Amino acid sequence: MKKEDTVKLISAEGFEFVIHKDAAMVSQTIRNMLTSPGGFAETEHGEVTFPEISTTILEKICKYFYWNLQFASGKQTEFHIEPELVLELMMAANYLHT
Amino acid sequence: MSGQKKRNFQIEAFKHRVVVDPKYAEKTWKILEHAIHEIYNHNASGLSFEELYRNAYNMVLHKFGEKLYSGLVTTMTHHLKEISKSIEAAQGELFLEELNRKWAEHNKALQMIRDILMYMDRTFIPSTHKTPVHELGLNLWRDVVIHASKTRSRLLDTLLELVHRERSGEVINRGLMRNIIKMLMDLGSTVYQDDFEKHFLDVSADFYRCESQEFIESCDCGNYLKKAERRLTEEMERVSHYLDARSEAKITNVVEKEMIESHINRLVHMESSGLVNMFVDDKYDDLGRMYSLFRRVQNGLVIVRDVMTAYIRDTGKQLITDPERLRDPVDFVQRLLDLKDKYDKVISLAFNNDKTFQNALNSSFEYFINLNARSPEFISLFVDDKLRKGLRGVSEEDVEVVLDKVMMLFRYLQEKDVFEKYYKQHLAKRLLSGKTVSDDAERSLIVKLKTECGYQFTSKLEGMFTDMKTSQDTMHGFYSTVGPLLGDSPMLTVQVLTTGSWPTQPSATCNLPAEILWVCEKFKSYYLGTHTGRRLSWQTNMGTADLKATFGKGQKHELNVSTYQMCVLMLFNNTDRLTYKEIEQATEIPAIDLKRCLQSLACVKGKNVLRKEPMSKDIAEEDAFFFNDKFTSKFIKVKIGTVVAQRESEPENLETRQRVEEDRKPQIEAAIVRIMKSRRVLDHNNIVAEVTKQLQGRFLPNPVVIKKRIESLIEREFLERDKTDRKLYSPLLFSNMAFKAGNEILEETKQIF
Repeated sequence: MKKEDTVKLISAEGFEFVIHKDAAMVSQTIRNMLTSPGGFAETEHGEVTFPEISTTILEKICKYFYWNLQFASGKQTEFHIEPELVLELMMAANYLHT
Repeated sequence: MSGQKKRNFQIEAFKHRVVVDPKYAEKTWKILEHAIHEIYNHNASGLSFEELYRNAYNMVLHKFGEKLYSGLVTTMTHHLKEISKSIEAAQGELFLEELNRKWAEHNKALQMIRDILMYMDRTFIPSTHKTPVHELGLNLWRDVVIHASKTRSRLLDTLLELVHRERSGEVINRGLMRNIIKMLMDLGSTVYQDDFEKHFLDVSADFYRCESQEFIESCDCGNYLKKAERRLTEEMERVSHYLDARSEAKITNVVEKEMIESHINRLVHMESSGLVNMFVDDKYDDLGRMYSLFRRVQNGLVIVRDVMTAYIRDTGKQLITDPERLRDPVDFVQRLLDLKDKYDKVISLAFNNDKTFQNALNSSFEYFINLNARSPEFISLFVDDKLRKGLRGVSEEDVEVVLDKVMMLFRYLQEKDVFEKYYKQHLAKRLLSGKTVSDDAERSLIVKLKTECGYQFTSKLEGMFTDMKTSQDTMHGFYSTVGPLLGDSPMLTVQVLTTGSWPTQPSATCNLPAEILWVCEKFKSYYLGTHTGRRLSWQTNMGTADLKATFGKGQKHELNVSTYQMCVLMLFNNTDRLTYKEIEQATEIPAIDLKRCLQSLACVKGKNVLRKEPMSKDIAEEDAFFFNDKFTSKFIKVKIGTVVAQRESEPENLETRQRVEEDRKPQIEAAIVRIMKSRRVLDHNNIVAEVTKQLQGRFLPNPVVIKKRIESLIEREFLERDKTDRKLYSPLLFSNMAFKAGNEILEETKQIF
């Protein structure tokens, strides 16, 4: 993975997830962060901190990003969500415009 | 979380976090306001997108959307006012550049602001029906910057000034121009139209009105068109370079209207360079230009077409009524063909093969060709000339080309039956004298006529070919059975012609020399022996003969002469001097033919086998003729005045006319009866119309003649008038209606020695 193809997502607890930009851009919000003109900090450093998203949720989100890419390319599998994560995950989804 | 799942749930806003800080909203807005300032000041690199987004997100969630939105409007308006000031301050040339630069900056800033306020754009704005951020940014730019009182008019003036400078040949910064125009279009099509396009079109109209006035005073038509064309392409280029594509139709319309439409009549009729002169001088480029330009204008082509039609009709009429031209039919038809070729070329090269122009051309030809009643005769003469000699040694394809052209002229003829009459006569002469260049060409033309006019039209012509063939067989039979009995009497070739198929000429027989008469009798008895119930009569006026003659110093010549001439010359076997009267008595050749024949024997230089007293060009009844002992010629074979198709003299012409009229009567009657049979009852005007329709493939019947035919049919009780309405006719006596076609087959013969 080349550095410029990836993005680092940092959770509230400081865990870092390095994923492909393509995957991250499943989120419209992250897409805007990475592509907005004028050079915001995130665009320049290639990392985004989410102080309001916990590690567990962020991990699930990253998994979802990759699942979504596969789903879009025709691989129809199920995405399993633990019931206890549902509420928080939904709030995050609203925030990330996913 | 996926799109589908989300649709089923309505995400309720985050409720569990309660805002304690009453100044929360104010504080958060401050952060965002600062960020917007920074963005406008190109200082955004230090900002965290996530933080700003989160703040805006939270504000909306906590029902401070309204505050966020109004704050945005105020802040942005503030910045735009400053920008507007700096643009107004820009001097001269820099104005547009400054405007362009600021616009680019504003766009970029707007993009960033929209991105961080995305959540508001997504949820708050649709639910409160406010203007989305991007559109808001554009609207504010329009209202604050572009519509600032000074900038608005200055912008328009600058743009128009630049366009004007480009039109006068200067080079301007098209990139800048394009960006500014693009800005106006981005602000909405109404902004582009109201703030630029409308004025642009007005100014252009003024500009081209003046310019075209100036050009038309100073240029000839060709040059004017060149200039107009260049202006038109320039405007189209301008549109493609920096204007809205939708403006193209509008601006070209302006140019067309000012440069072409307003001057169209003057251009077409321009003295010494207008349309007619272009035709005369074969200026295909100019004509093509005129066509493509005038096509853009309503009625433009109609004017061109009308002028062309009028001009062709005029030249055609001059040509066709010029007595000078009528003297030589071949040249006359060639001129017609040349004229047609010329305009065909114009239409294909310059007028894009426009169907309407072709139709106009055809109708013009149809108009003037039929002005001269002798056109059918001349066209037939032209064919005759071509098939006799004109096409000798020409390749088959070229023959076809010539024949096709002839057919084209034929199509224009209204009196196709007159053509048929002449064609038949000429074909007969060609066939009988064996002068036709190629049988294939003859047949090909007949096939063409057949496809054009149907079987009926050519059946007699085809019959003539069949007769020629049968006659050959008959002659074979004659010589193989009777041949030995004939000894060394003259060779006889007879062509047996079917009456009806061949143009019947009043058979003026003459007294044949005894030797020949004897052979003829032999043939007659042979023929009647094999074919019973037929009648033979000799057509001496159409034959030819080869004579062997010995002159004074013993020089021998073979003379190729007509049958009449042969009869005359044979008289000189016994005597040296004969008067006109004596010849007439001995041969009984009709006076006109005899004079003609003597003239060709005695008065043509190099072919004067007879000598006349007194020497003069015309034959008088008192003249005396001598055998010309001193006759010499370079050639052994001498051809003397053969039967050449010539244009008819006036009385002959009248006679043919009469015959044609006579032939038309049964055709018209047949048509009337056909129509009445199918329609049962019809009034007079409708009959005339129907008859004309049925017969127009052959000729144009005269209504008066039709009326006479109807009357004659009533007299003969084929039709009757309606008892109540005198204008209505109805048919009677169907069983009696078979028309006699005069089909008794009479065999008429004609000899060739």
